[in-house]
Amino acid sequence: MQTNNSLWELFQKRGLSRRSFLKTCAMITGLLGLSPLKCTEVVAAAEEKNLPVVIWLHGHECTGCDESFLRSQTPLASDVILNMISVEYDDCLSAAAGEPFEQHFKEIIEKYAGQYILAVEGGVPLAENGIYCMVGGRPFVTVLKEAAAGAAAIVEYGSCSAWGGIQSAKPNPTNTVAVSQIVGGTTIVKVPGCPPIPEVMTAVIMHFALFGQLPPLDTSGRPKQFYGNRIHDTCYRRPFFDSGMFAERFDDAGAKAGWCLYKVGCRGPATYNSCGNMRWWNGLSYPIQSGHGCIGCSNNGFWDNDQFYERLPNIPISATIANADTIGAVATGVAVAGVVAHGALSVVEKYKRQRQSKPEEERRP
Amino acid sequence: MSDGQLKAYYVYSPWLRIFHWLMVMSIVVLFFTGLYIGNPFFIGSQGLEPTYAFSERLSMETVRFIHFAAAFILVCAFVLRVYGFVVNKGDRLLPRFWTKQHWAWTMDIMLHYMLLRASHKPYLRNPLARMSYLGVYFLIGIEAITGFTMYVMVDPKSIWGQSFSLVNSLLINEYYVHLIHHYVAWLIIIFAVVHIYMAVRADFMEREGEISSMFSGVKFLAHQPVDLGEIATEEDSLVRYWDNIARDSRPHSG
Ligand code: SF4
Repeated sequence: MQTNNSLWELFQKRGLSRRSFLKTCAMITGLLGLSPLKCTEVVAAAEEKNLPVVIWLHGHECTGCDESFLRSQTPLASDVILNMISVEYDDCLSAAAGEPFEQHFKEIIEKYAGQYILAVEGGVPLAENGIYCMVGGRPFVTVLKEAAAGAAAIVEYGSCSAWGGIQSAKPNPTNTVAVSQIVGGTTIVKVPGCPPIPEVMTAVIMHFALFGQLPPLDTSGRPKQFYGNRIHDTCYRRPFFDSGMFAERFDDAGAKAGWCLYKVGCRGPATYNSCGNMRWWNGLSYPIQSGHGCIGCSNNGFWDNDQFYERLPNIPISATIANADTIGAVATGVAVAGVVAHGALSVVEKYKRQRQSKPEEERRP
Repeated sequence: MSDGQLKAYYVYSPWLRIFHWLMVMSIVVLFFTGLYIGNPFFIGSQGLEPTYAFSERLSMETVRFIHFAAAFILVCAFVLRVYGFVVNKGDRLLPRFWTKQHWAWTMDIMLHYMLLRASHKPYLRNPLARMSYLGVYFLIGIEAITGFTMYVMVDPKSIWGQSFSLVNSLLINEYYVHLIHHYVAWLIIIFAVVHIYMAVRADFMEREGEISSMFSGVKFLAHQPVDLGEIATEEDSLVRYWDNIARDSRPHSG
């Protein structure tokens, strides 16, 4: 294992030049979203810091985050896994399997207690004592608690582990919750997305590896440099939005011409992620660029914000097709009708009262 | 003490009245621009480039600008409301929830509105209305908070972005912020419908100068209002009102 090597030592072992080491450090600096001035610090850290041990757990999920991670281009996922970090346990990426593998898990959480980074993918089902997700014959929640106890930091990869994910959609039959709702007390960083951008996944783990601390987090616990901006504010279709040019349907001329997808349900205006500026697969594309509105997959609760192809969600009453604006308009209509009726009754009331009081007046001397 | 004669009571300060009409105008603007922003459309010729619409002057950007400007006017107008509250007793319409009387009066006015009681006690400002004003300020507050959250998050690093981003995480995600903004906007419009109706109805039923009081600040009542001590004192109100009249109608002697 390369666990007790720094990146620089690794480069030397492989017979790589100092120059390529520095180039790598410069690239990492950019990747982490740091200012170029920080490059020297990155170099210093890469010379000294031991490569971090990473334990990667899989819970209630689809493994899409892994799939995304494997497609990280800068740096290449293979570089990260084989050279930059030391992944000791990952159900999906490991060659080993079965009992020896589980045995290895027990050994490493003892050996590196308090040092390893715990990456978790997937939500934690709690219903029926957690039997909806079993790992190595044990409920995932048990494994998670065990691994979290000695973790230096926990990275919640993907919307499932960060927020609960699709399986926690109403009515949430398996009672799935986010990892941070189960384990507290450690430094936790959320890297939501369904899946997250691969480059973001690698960058967060590199940041911790090099500086021994998490990147600055926002109020929801996500790294600011990747989740600071709304997609809408970084979207290349924004000029169309500003000038009021919207695709009305997916098969109209506007959609073809690449106009804003706001009216076909784009969640960009409410979604915080780097899709607009970093894009995916080394900046190749992202959902909006490929013609589909953002569904807000890195948002907490996005799975309940359907319909995805409407600007506003339908209200959660079955067999109802109404959104906030329809309801508002109907309610206002009812209010108008109500006041008109009330007004009519009031007028009647007033005339009745006047008629009753008149004879009295006449009776007066 | 009913002698059948109308007495004038000076209630609302100019600050409150200016505030009221600024609020009316900005809410109308906010509501209609908001409807556009929620469900935009475009009339006019569109090319393929996003520059065409600007010459038509109905671009999303322009409408949004108007929306934001009106929002700032509405929020800033509250300064006038607060100032009026400080300097004029008549502006202090905060319902006195803690008194028994308040609830007795509320009952009285509710029975009247339910057409079960032909007339109600004379009020300068009836307690139900006073509660609804508090309610609408609360709704406007929600609109302001959710609205500014969406507005300032353009620059999440700014001090505003940092303070308002908490709203996003508290309300699960920003999508709900949009949603709440929509629903509450409609609630405010429903308030407006009922409010306008109630004012017109009061003028028709009681003829106390309800509508004109929002222009002149003065209400006319035949009976001594029961809440006189609460939001205006008699001498105060009368003296100030008649003083003004006298000053206005004084002949300009050379
Ligand atoms: S496509 Fe979506 S994110 Fe892009 S400008 Fe339109 S609404 Fe905003």
